[in-house]
Amino acid sequence: MTRRSTRAGVASLGTATLLVASLGGGTFAQGSPEPAPAAAAVMSYPNYGGEVDCEARTFNGTEYRGSIKSIEATDASTVVFTLCAPDPAFLAKVAFSAFQIDDTDYLLTAGADRSIVEKPNGTGPYQLGDWVRGDQVILNAYAGYHGDAALSPTAIFRWSSQPGQKFIELQSGNVDGIDNVQPDDVEAIEGDPNLQLIPREGLNVFYIGFNDTAAPFDNEKIRQAIAQGIDRQAIVDQFYPAGSEVASHFVPCSIAFGCEGESWYDFDLAAAQALLAEGMAEAGVDSISTTISLRVVDRGYLPLPEQVATAIQAQLQDNLGITATLDVQESGTFIDNADLGLLKGLHLLGWGADYPDPTNFLDYHFGEGASAQFGNGFPDIHAALRAGASTAVDAERQAAYTDVNNLLKQHVPMIPVAHGGSATAWAAGLQGNPHSSPLSNEVLSVIGPGTDDQLVFMQSGEPAGLYCADESDGEALRICEQIKESLYAFEVGGVAAIPALATECAANDDLTVWTCTLKDGVTFHNGATLDAGDVVLSYAVQWDAAHPLHLGRDGSFTYFAGLFGGFLNAPPAAE
Amino acid sequence: MAGTLTATDGASGDGLATARVAGPWRDKLRMLLRQRSAVIGLIIISILSFAALFADVIAPHPPNKALNGPGEPGRRAQPCVHLLGCPADQPQTLLGTDGNSRDLFSRTLHGARVSLVVGFATAGLAVLIGSTIGAIAGFAAGGLDNGLMRVMDVMLAFPALVLAIAIASTLGRGLLQSLIAVAIVSIPIYARVMRASVLSVRGLDYVTASRALGETNRGLLVRRVLPNALTPMIVVGTLGIGTAVLETAALSFLGLGMQPPDAEWGAMIASEFNGILTRPLIVLVPGFALTLLVVGFNLLGDGLRDTLDPRLDR
Repeated sequence: MTRRSTRAGVASLGTATLLVASLGGGTFAQGSPEPAPAAAAVMSYPNYGGEVDCEARTFNGTEYRGSIKSIEATDASTVVFTLCAPDPAFLAKVAFSAFQIDDTDYLLTAGADRSIVEKPNGTGPYQLGDWVRGDQVILNAYAGYHGDAALSPTAIFRWSSQPGQKFIELQSGNVDGIDNVQPDDVEAIEGDPNLQLIPREGLNVFYIGFNDTAAPFDNEKIRQAIAQGIDRQAIVDQFYPAGSEVASHFVPCSIAFGCEGESWYDFDLAAAQALLAEGMAEAGVDSISTTISLRVVDRGYLPLPEQVATAIQAQLQDNLGITATLDVQESGTFIDNADLGLLKGLHLLGWGADYPDPTNFLDYHFGEGASAQFGNGFPDIHAALRAGASTAVDAERQAAYTDVNNLLKQHVPMIPVAHGGSATAWAAGLQGNPHSSPLSNEVLSVIGPGTDDQLVFMQSGEPAGLYCADESDGEALRICEQIKESLYAFEVGGVAAIPALATECAANDDLTVWTCTLKDGVTFHNGATLDAGDVVLSYAVQWDAAHPLHLGRDGSFTYFAGLFGGFLNAPPAAE
Repeated sequence: MAGTLTATDGASGDGLATARVAGPWRDKLRMLLRQRSAVIGLIIISILSFAALFADVIAPHPPNKALNGPGEPGRRAQPCVHLLGCPADQPQTLLGTDGNSRDLFSRTLHGARVSLVVGFATAGLAVLIGSTIGAIAGFAAGGLDNGLMRVMDVMLAFPALVLAIAIASTLGRGLLQSLIAVAIVSIPIYARVMRASVLSVRGLDYVTASRALGETNRGLLVRRVLPNALTPMIVVGTLGIGTAVLETAALSFLGLGMQPPDAEWGAMIASEFNGILTRPLIVLVPGFALTLLVVGFNLLGDGLRDTLDPRLDR
C-alpha cells in the first residue's frame, strides 16, 4: 500500500511538528508509490540542534544522560543505531515490547490524539478486534502476517484479579488458559486430567520499596534496620510455591552478573532493633507509623499480595515496633503513583524480566533514567550501572555489578524479598504449543483452540493502555506482544532474542553501532508497509521528551528512560 | 393503645402510677418469651455476646498472632482436636488456621466483638438521628416536614449499599468510617417510620387535650407523642442491627471497613474467598457466624414486632 507523505501527515500538528516534519524531508518523495532508494542517510534523529555530545553528556545545550547518540534510516530498510558506549544487551533491549514499531502515518495521527492508547496498529499475528473496557480484548488473526499464521482465528484476553475465579473459569471450560496459578490451586490442577500446569521459572523479584525523599525513610539507617528486621525466609516459606527462593540480590542469579557482590542482609533482629534505635535518634522520631501500599493483583513475583502484606505488617509491628496500615490501590493507579514517587511509605512491587540481562532489572529501577519510585536516586549507583551497561568485557561487567549490588545493600532503596516461581495452566486439549514464558510474554499465535475456534486466556488484570511504549505493566505488554512487533523478539517460551521485524541487527566491533536490516514485505494492520522511517520515528517519539508525539498515555515512557539512560531534552529533575 | 396511654401518663405522674406502669411491660416480656423465634434469637445473641465479651479469655490465641513457629500449626492448617482423634503429635487447633497462620476460632470470636459493637453502634446512631428527624418532621408538618422528607426520599432513592460504598469511599477506609456510612444510609428508614408513627399519635385526643391545657410544642412532642410513638422504632431498630452488621461486613469485604490485620467477619471472608474450593472452612466459618448473628437479630425483631404490635395480639 502506498504510504502517505510524512510531511502531509504532520501538517495539522502546528509548530511542534517541525521535529517530525523534518523526518519526512528526505528522499521519501511525496506521491512516490515506494520509498526511493537512498545511498546516504535520509532520516536521522536527532535532526535539529546539533549532535549528542557523548563526552560532555549534552544535547542542544542541555544535559543528556542517555546512551543513544543517533538513530538513522540510511535507506528504506536499514536503520543504524549509534550509541555513546558499548551495549551488550542491545539486542535484548530492542526485542522488548516497549520498543515495538508503529506505522509513521498512524503514529502521527493516533499518537497525537492519543487514540493509539486504545487502538494499536501493528504488524503482529493478531490485530485488535475490540477492546470492551472492563470485560475483554478481542484479537483477530491478521491475514497479511509475514510469519506463521496464528493457529487460532480469534484470541480473547479476559482478566480477573481473583485467582479463585480464574481457576474456576478454567475448570469450567470458559477459558483455555490462565496466568499465575495460585500456589494453593497447584495440587488441584495437577490432579485434573482436563488441565495442564506449565511451571514458569522465577525470573523476577518481589521487593519492598522505600521512597528516600519522605521521612523517616530518608534515613539510611532506618532503611537498613528494616532490611535486617524482616524475616524474608518466613515469607517465602509461607506464601510462595515450590521453585521460589529468597532473593540474595535484586537480580535473579540465573541471569549473568546478577548476583555479583555481597548477598543481602540476613534476618538479624537484635542488629535491626539497635540500628533502628540509632536511626530514629538521628531522625528525631520516637515512633514510626507508615503505610504499606500495594495492589491486589497476583503476579509471579507476588502470588498472594494481601496475605504477604499482612505478614509484613505483622513483622514490622512485632519485630521493630513499626505500625503500618495497608493501603490497597487500584493497579494502574498504584503503578502510576509509584512512578511519580507518590508512595511515601513502604510499597510492595516487583519486576518480571523483560530480557535476561542485569540492565533490565537494575537500570530500569536504579539508573539515571529511572522514575521517582525510590526518590532521588543515588549517584554512585548511577555511575556503577553506567559502567556495567557500557562494556562488553565480562570482567568489567562483573566488577561493575559487584559495585552496584554492594551499593544497593548499603543504600537500601528497597528490600529484595523473593524470586517467585509461578505457572500458567491450560486446558489439556489445546493444539499447538501451550507454554509458559519466563518473561511472561506467552505467544498466543502458536496455541490452537480446543473445541471451538477461539482461544481465551485469562490474566490478572486489564491493561491500562495498549500503546506499550508508555506502559510498564505485564498485563498490557502481553497483549501488545500479540499485536505489535519489535525489531527482535524473544523465542517462544524462552529468553533468547531472535530477529522479528529485522532480519538482523549487526554490531561493529566495540558494540557501539548497530545496523539493523528490516524484513521485506512486512505490512501493518492498516495496510501500510514497514520501512526504516517507521523505526526511527517509533524510537524518536520515546527518546525526545520535547517531541510533539512524546505523549503516550501518561507520558512517562519509563522503559525507554530506564533502559537507554534518559531522554533528549529531559525536564530538569525535581529538587 | 389505651393501655399504653395509661402507662405513659402514669410515668409522668405519682409513685402509685409508676407501680402500675411495670405491669404492661412485664406482660410484653412474658409474651416475648413465649414466642419461640424470639427466644431462639435471644439465645443466639446471648451466646455471641458472651463470646464477644469474653473473647480474650475463651480464644486460645491472640487473633492476630501468626502460628507458624515450631510446634505451631502453620498456614492453613486443618482443624485438629486431640479428643476427636487428631494425632497427639500435631498441634491442636479447633477450626484450623487461615492464610496468615492465624487461629480461625480465635479470630471468629474476636470478629463477634467487632460485629456486635458495630451493629449496636450503627443502629443506635441511625435510630437516634433518624428518630429525631422523623419526629420533628411528623410533629411540625408543613414545609419543614416536606423539606426533611424530600431529603430522606433522595437518600432512599439510592441502593443502600451503593450509597454506603460511596460515603465510605469518601470518608476513607476504616471501621469508624464504614460505621458512619452505614448509619447514614439507615437514617431515612428510621426517619420515615418515626414520622409515620408520630403522625398517627399527634392527632389523638389526649394530645389535643394536653395542648388545650397549655402544654408547649416541645413538651407535647417529648412527653406526649414520642413515648407513644416509640414501639415501631424498637422493632425496626432491632431488625436494623442485623442489617447494619451485614452492610458493615459487606464494606469490610470490599476493603472499605475494618483494615488488616484486625479480625472482622467480612474482612475474613474477603481475605480467604479465593480458597473457597480448596479450604472452604476458612471462608464458611466467619460466613456462618455472620449469618447466625443476623438471623438472631431478625428473629428477635420479629418476636418484638409480634409482641409490641397490638394488632398482632394473640
